[in-house]
Amino acid sequence: MDLYQLAKEETLVPLAKRGDPAAQEAIYRAFETPVYGLARRICRTREDAEDVMQETFLEVFKSLPRFRGDGSLWGWIRRIASSKALMRLRRNKYRDTDELEPEVGGGVKENPALRMDLEAALERLSDTSRAVVWLHDVEGYTHDEIAQMMDRSVSFSKSQLARAHARLRRWLGEEVAA
Amino acid sequence: MSHLSLDQLIELREPGSEPGCEGALAHLRQCEICRAESERLEQRVARLRALPTPRPSRSRFLETRAAFVSSRRRRHLQRGGLVGLALAASLVLGFGLRPGSSPIGDPAPAAQTDTELGEAMARSRDLENALRLYDPESRILDGRTAGITLRLEDQLSAVDRQLEMLSTLGQLHSSRRHEQLRLWRERVGLLDALMDVHLTRASFAGL
Repeated sequence: MDLYQLAKEETLVPLAKRGDPAAQEAIYRAFETPVYGLARRICRTREDAEDVMQETFLEVFKSLPRFRGDGSLWGWIRRIASSKALMRLRRNKYRDTDELEPEVGGGVKENPALRMDLEAALERLSDTSRAVVWLHDVEGYTHDEIAQMMDRSVSFSKSQLARAHARLRRWLGEEVAA
Repeated sequence: MSHLSLDQLIELREPGSEPGCEGALAHLRQCEICRAESERLEQRVARLRALPTPRPSRSRFLETRAAFVSSRRRRHLQRGGLVGLALAASLVLGFGLRPGSSPIGDPAPAAQTDTELGEAMARSRDLENALRLYDPESRILDGRTAGITLRLEDQLSAVDRQLEMLSTLGQLHSSRRHEQLRLWRERVGLLDALMDVHLTRASFAGL
């Protein structure tokens, strides 16, 4: 995120609220990478993430006049991006189960060469688990907030997070005999 | 006490421990195995946070801006911007056509202008309806289409502003009526072009 642009947030927002193209573009440039990054981690494909990015900024430009500035601009944009990405997941319903565990003799923990890297393991999670682990552990949303965005219960969010970590631990070869 | 489950370890990371967590915390302080598991959990989260941020392959600002301008123009129409404008124009037309109304220019060409003005307004309304049914805002545009759309939408907004300014002048002198007709015709041309852009793109993309 461009810190210079962020520093100009106070100047840019009132102009962007009036639909000023230069101010809108400055906001777009400042936040396109984090918005895309968030969308890409939640959505299954690059194309979906790009569509989510466009939907997010369209909503941002349309709703800016209602932005009161109680929180940070990024916090507000991030919430919109998260909702759009989750909506896209619900619409597409690619896959809501984890992929089968790799068929490796003796299990991954005995053979470090067969351990997945974190990116691959994250991709392998079900869409819902991946979204929850990303929103909670990386973006810092609480279970209450995630439950609200996903229109599910808090316990659902908690169980998805635990499930995601159990899978990641196994696939990354981090399990140890208790 | 048996070792802590992953669920319990995750729960302990949450701010504000719930009642019942004291026992788990006490166990964690004493149990080397659980502490190691907790550290692995922390490291995993830290590694997740340290993953590189994927970057978009190209900017979509132009497409987003085009969709925004298009939606703003339609919102303006829905709120009565151009409906009011058309109403004002038709009132002017009605006034102009009334026998005995104050002569503004030659009555015969004025009647001709009024007819043409009515036709242009009707055509404009039809095209707006067709565009609304097509709902371009809900469709993802490619960069080239977005650029053309944005230019046309900007020109439409400019024409609408001029029409709104004219409508505030009340009864129009014949020269202004001609200007009004020119603007409505320009508006029809721009809407036609906008429809063409969307339909051509749709037929290419098979949408």
